[in-house]
Amino acid sequence: MAVDISVSVQAEGFDPGVEYSRLRNENYSDGATSMFVGNVRDFSPTALLGFPEASLDETGGRQSVTVLELEHYPGMAESALTDIARQAAARWPLGRVRIVHRYGPLNAGEEIVFVGATSTHRQDSLDACAFIMDFLKSRAPFWKKEVGEPGDLGTWVEARSSDEKALKKW
Amino acid sequence: MIKVLFFASLREQLQRDGLEIEAAGLTSVTQLRSKLAEQGATWQSALSNEQLQVALNQKLSTMDAAIQDGDEVAFFPPVTGG
Repeated sequence: MAVDISVSVQAEGFDPGVEYSRLRNENYSDGATSMFVGNVRDFSPTALLGFPEASLDETGGRQSVTVLELEHYPGMAESALTDIARQAAARWPLGRVRIVHRYGPLNAGEEIVFVGATSTHRQDSLDACAFIMDFLKSRAPFWKKEVGEPGDLGTWVEARSSDEKALKKW
Repeated sequence: MIKVLFFASLREQLQRDGLEIEAAGLTSVTQLRSKLAEQGATWQSALSNEQLQVALNQKLSTMDAAIQDGDEVAFFPPVTGG
Protein backbone atom coordinates (compact mmCIF):
# COMPACT_ATOMS: atom_id res chain seq x y z
CA MET A 1 0.00 0.00 0.00
CA ALA A 2 1.32 3.44 -0.87
CA VAL A 3 2.56 5.57 1.99
CA ASP A 4 0.41 8.63 2.67
CA ILE A 5 2.88 11.57 2.51
CA SER A 6 1.84 15.14 3.30
CA VAL A 7 4.13 18.18 3.31
CA SER A 8 3.34 21.82 4.16
CA VAL A 9 5.68 24.82 4.00
CA GLN A 10 3.84 27.72 5.60
CA ALA A 11 4.15 31.02 7.45
CA GLU A 12 1.26 30.20 9.79
CA GLY A 13 1.72 28.34 13.03
CA PHE A 14 0.57 24.75 13.45
CA ASP A 15 -1.02 22.74 16.23
CA PRO A 16 0.87 19.52 17.03
CA GLY A 17 -2.41 18.10 18.35
CA VAL A 18 -4.11 18.66 15.02
CA GLU A 19 -1.12 17.11 13.24
CA TYR A 20 -1.35 14.06 15.51
CA SER A 21 -5.06 13.74 14.68
CA ARG A 22 -4.20 13.87 11.00
CA LEU A 23 -1.76 10.97 11.44
CA ARG A 24 -4.31 8.94 13.43
CA ASN A 25 -7.66 9.70 11.75
CA GLU A 26 -9.17 6.33 10.72
CA ASN A 27 -5.72 4.79 10.90
CA TYR A 28 -6.38 1.39 12.47
CA SER A 29 -3.41 -0.54 11.08
CA ASP A 30 -0.51 1.44 12.56
CA GLY A 31 0.12 0.83 16.24
CA ALA A 32 2.98 3.35 16.46
CA THR A 33 3.00 7.13 15.98
CA SER A 34 6.29 9.03 16.38
CA MET A 35 6.59 12.80 16.25
CA PHE A 36 9.25 15.50 16.55
CA VAL A 37 8.61 19.22 17.09
CA GLY A 38 11.36 21.86 16.84
CA ASN A 39 10.88 25.20 18.62
CA VAL A 40 12.67 28.57 18.60
CA ARG A 41 15.17 28.93 21.47
CA ASP A 42 15.57 32.25 23.30
CA PHE A 43 19.37 32.14 23.10
CA SER A 44 22.03 31.62 20.47
CA PRO A 45 23.23 28.01 20.50
CA THR A 46 26.84 28.97 19.70
CA ALA A 47 27.82 28.32 23.33
CA LEU A 48 26.84 24.70 22.89
CA LEU A 49 29.25 24.34 19.98
CA GLY A 50 32.46 24.94 21.89
CA PHE A 51 32.71 28.70 21.38
CA PRO A 52 31.29 29.95 24.70
CA GLU A 53 32.94 33.38 24.45
CA ALA A 54 31.38 34.03 21.05
CA SER A 55 27.86 33.81 22.35
CA LEU A 56 28.28 35.95 25.47
CA ASP A 57 27.02 39.51 25.40
CA GLU A 58 28.89 42.50 26.88
CA THR A 59 27.53 41.76 30.36
CA GLY A 60 28.84 38.20 30.20
CA GLY A 61 25.39 36.73 29.73
CA ARG A 62 24.47 34.51 26.83
CA GLN A 63 23.17 36.24 23.71
CA SER A 64 19.42 36.36 23.69
CA VAL A 65 17.35 35.71 20.60
CA THR A 66 13.92 37.30 20.42
CA VAL A 67 13.11 36.54 16.79
CA LEU A 68 14.27 33.84 14.40
CA GLU A 69 13.82 34.75 10.74
CA LEU A 70 13.49 31.75 8.47
CA GLU A 71 14.14 32.21 4.77
CA HIS A 72 13.21 29.46 2.31
CA TYR A 73 13.38 28.64 -1.37
CA PRO A 74 9.73 28.47 -2.45
CA GLY A 75 9.02 25.40 -4.55
CA MET A 76 12.28 23.66 -3.83
CA ALA A 77 11.53 23.60 -0.09
CA GLU A 78 8.35 21.60 -0.69
CA SER A 79 9.95 19.24 -3.21
CA ALA A 80 13.04 18.63 -1.04
CA LEU A 81 10.89 17.73 1.99
CA THR A 82 8.69 15.46 -0.14
CA ASP A 83 11.79 13.75 -1.52
CA ILE A 84 13.15 13.16 2.02
CA ALA A 85 9.78 11.75 3.12
CA ARG A 86 9.79 9.40 0.10
CA GLN A 87 13.30 8.21 0.97
CA ALA A 88 12.12 7.42 4.51
CA ALA A 89 9.09 5.59 3.12
CA ALA A 90 11.38 3.51 0.91
CA ARG A 91 13.51 2.46 3.89
CA TRP A 92 10.86 1.68 6.52
CA PRO A 93 7.33 0.24 6.30
CA LEU A 94 5.42 3.43 7.16
CA GLY A 95 1.71 4.22 7.01
CA ARG A 96 1.68 8.01 7.03
CA VAL A 97 4.34 10.73 6.99
CA ARG A 98 3.62 14.38 7.76
CA ILE A 99 6.15 17.25 7.59
CA VAL A 100 5.35 20.91 8.37
CA HIS A 101 8.07 23.57 8.14
CA ARG A 102 7.44 27.25 8.80
CA TYR A 103 9.11 30.33 7.33
CA GLY A 104 9.10 34.05 8.15
CA PRO A 105 9.72 35.73 11.51
CA LEU A 106 9.16 33.39 14.48
CA ASN A 107 9.22 34.38 18.14
CA ALA A 108 11.10 32.50 20.86
CA GLY A 109 9.11 29.45 21.89
CA GLU A 110 7.16 29.13 18.66
CA GLU A 111 7.06 25.90 16.67
CA ILE A 112 9.35 25.74 13.61
CA VAL A 113 9.03 22.20 12.34
CA PHE A 114 6.86 19.11 12.78
CA VAL A 115 7.79 15.62 11.63
CA GLY A 116 5.47 12.69 12.25
CA ALA A 117 5.35 9.09 11.02
CA THR A 118 3.18 6.07 11.72
CA SER A 119 4.08 2.40 11.43
CA THR A 120 3.08 -1.03 12.64
CA HIS A 121 6.05 -1.21 15.01
CA ARG A 122 7.59 1.68 16.94
CA GLN A 123 11.22 1.36 15.83
CA ASP A 124 10.30 2.06 12.21
CA SER A 125 8.45 5.30 12.94
CA LEU A 126 11.09 6.43 15.47
CA ASP A 127 13.91 5.81 12.98
CA ALA A 128 11.96 7.47 10.16
CA CYS A 129 11.47 10.67 12.19
CA ALA A 130 15.17 10.84 13.11
CA PHE A 131 16.18 10.16 9.48
CA ILE A 132 13.84 12.85 8.15
CA MET A 133 15.12 15.44 10.65
CA ASP A 134 18.77 14.63 9.89
CA PHE A 135 18.27 15.02 6.14
CA LEU A 136 16.00 18.05 6.52
CA LYS A 137 18.77 19.82 8.48
CA SER A 138 21.35 19.35 5.71
CA ARG A 139 19.31 19.10 2.52
CA ALA A 140 16.17 21.24 2.71
CA PRO A 141 16.58 24.90 1.56
CA PHE A 142 15.85 26.87 4.73
CA TRP A 143 18.14 29.43 6.39
CA LYS A 144 17.90 30.81 9.92
CA LYS A 145 18.81 34.30 11.05
CA GLU A 146 18.86 35.14 14.75
CA VAL A 147 17.72 38.61 15.79
CA GLY A 148 18.35 39.80 19.35
CA GLU A 149 16.92 43.24 19.98
CA PRO A 150 14.52 45.23 17.77
CA GLY A 151 16.55 47.05 15.11
CA ASP A 152 19.31 44.44 15.26
CA LEU A 153 20.32 43.40 11.72
CA GLY A 154 20.55 39.80 12.83
CA THR A 155 23.11 37.04 12.42
CA TRP A 156 22.84 34.17 9.97
CA VAL A 157 23.16 30.82 11.70
CA GLU A 158 26.22 28.87 10.53
CA ALA A 159 25.74 25.31 9.34
CA ARG A 160 27.22 22.77 11.73
CA SER A 161 29.58 20.06 10.57
CA SER A 162 27.87 17.78 13.11
CA ASP A 163 24.68 18.00 11.03
CA GLU A 164 26.49 16.73 7.94
CA LYS A 165 28.15 13.98 10.00
CA ALA A 166 24.72 12.92 11.32
CA LEU A 167 23.83 11.74 7.81
CA LYS A 168 26.60 9.16 7.80
CA LYS A 169 24.84 6.96 10.33
CA TRP A 170 22.10 6.34 7.76
CA MET B 1 17.86 32.96 -20.60
CA ILE B 2 18.99 31.40 -17.35
CA LYS B 3 17.19 32.41 -14.16
CA VAL B 4 19.63 32.87 -11.28
CA LEU B 5 18.52 33.08 -7.63
CA PHE B 6 20.40 34.01 -4.45
CA PHE B 7 19.35 33.20 -0.90
CA ALA B 8 20.13 34.15 2.70
CA SER B 9 23.55 35.74 3.42
CA LEU B 10 24.50 35.59 -0.28
CA ARG B 11 21.32 37.51 -1.20
CA GLU B 12 22.23 40.16 1.38
CA GLN B 13 25.85 40.43 0.20
CA LEU B 14 24.75 40.91 -3.41
CA GLN B 15 21.78 43.05 -2.42
CA ARG B 16 19.51 41.25 -4.85
CA ASP B 17 17.55 38.02 -4.90
CA GLY B 18 18.18 37.11 -8.50
CA LEU B 19 18.68 38.03 -12.12
CA GLU B 20 18.33 36.67 -15.65
CA ILE B 21 21.36 36.08 -17.81
CA GLU B 22 21.80 35.19 -21.48
CA ALA B 23 22.48 31.46 -21.75
CA ALA B 24 24.78 31.74 -24.79
CA GLY B 25 28.27 30.47 -24.02
CA LEU B 26 27.39 29.14 -20.58
CA THR B 27 27.48 25.35 -20.43
CA SER B 28 28.14 24.65 -16.74
CA VAL B 29 27.33 26.07 -13.31
CA THR B 30 31.03 26.86 -12.86
CA GLN B 31 31.02 28.98 -16.03
CA LEU B 32 27.92 30.80 -14.85
CA ARG B 33 29.54 31.44 -11.47
CA SER B 34 32.66 32.87 -13.13
CA LYS B 35 30.57 35.06 -15.41
CA LEU B 36 28.64 36.47 -12.45
CA ALA B 37 31.87 37.08 -10.50
CA GLU B 38 33.04 39.43 -13.30
CA GLN B 39 30.42 41.97 -12.22
CA GLY B 40 32.61 43.51 -9.53
CA ALA B 41 34.53 43.01 -6.32
CA THR B 42 31.43 42.25 -4.23
CA TRP B 43 30.37 39.55 -6.67
CA GLN B 44 33.89 38.16 -6.88
CA SER B 45 34.13 37.94 -3.11
CA ALA B 46 30.62 36.58 -2.44
CA LEU B 47 30.80 33.93 -5.15
CA SER B 48 34.29 32.75 -4.20
CA ASN B 49 32.93 31.30 -0.94
CA GLU B 50 33.87 27.61 -1.14
CA GLN B 51 30.93 26.64 1.05
CA LEU B 52 28.40 27.85 -1.52
CA GLN B 53 25.86 25.29 -2.62
CA VAL B 54 23.90 25.19 -5.85
CA ALA B 55 20.48 23.93 -6.90
CA LEU B 56 19.71 23.28 -10.56
CA ASN B 57 16.00 23.44 -11.40
CA GLN B 58 15.20 23.20 -7.68
CA LYS B 59 17.31 20.11 -6.98
CA LEU B 60 20.63 20.15 -5.10
CA SER B 61 23.40 19.90 -7.68
CA THR B 62 27.13 20.41 -8.14
CA MET B 63 29.26 23.18 -9.65
CA ASP B 64 30.30 20.95 -12.57
CA ALA B 65 26.67 20.31 -13.61
CA ALA B 66 25.73 21.16 -17.20
CA ILE B 67 23.24 23.98 -17.74
CA GLN B 68 21.14 25.09 -20.68
CA ASP B 69 18.73 27.78 -21.79
CA GLY B 70 15.64 27.91 -19.57
CA ASP B 71 17.32 26.49 -16.45
CA GLU B 72 16.86 27.90 -12.96
CA VAL B 73 20.11 28.02 -10.96
CA ALA B 74 20.14 28.98 -7.28
CA PHE B 75 23.24 29.75 -5.20
CA PHE B 76 23.12 29.75 -1.40
CA PRO B 77 25.13 29.10 1.77
CA PRO B 78 24.81 25.74 3.56
CA VAL B 79 21.21 25.26 4.75
CA THR B 80 20.26 25.67 8.41
CA GLY B 81 16.58 24.75 8.70
CA GLY B 82 14.83 22.44 11.11
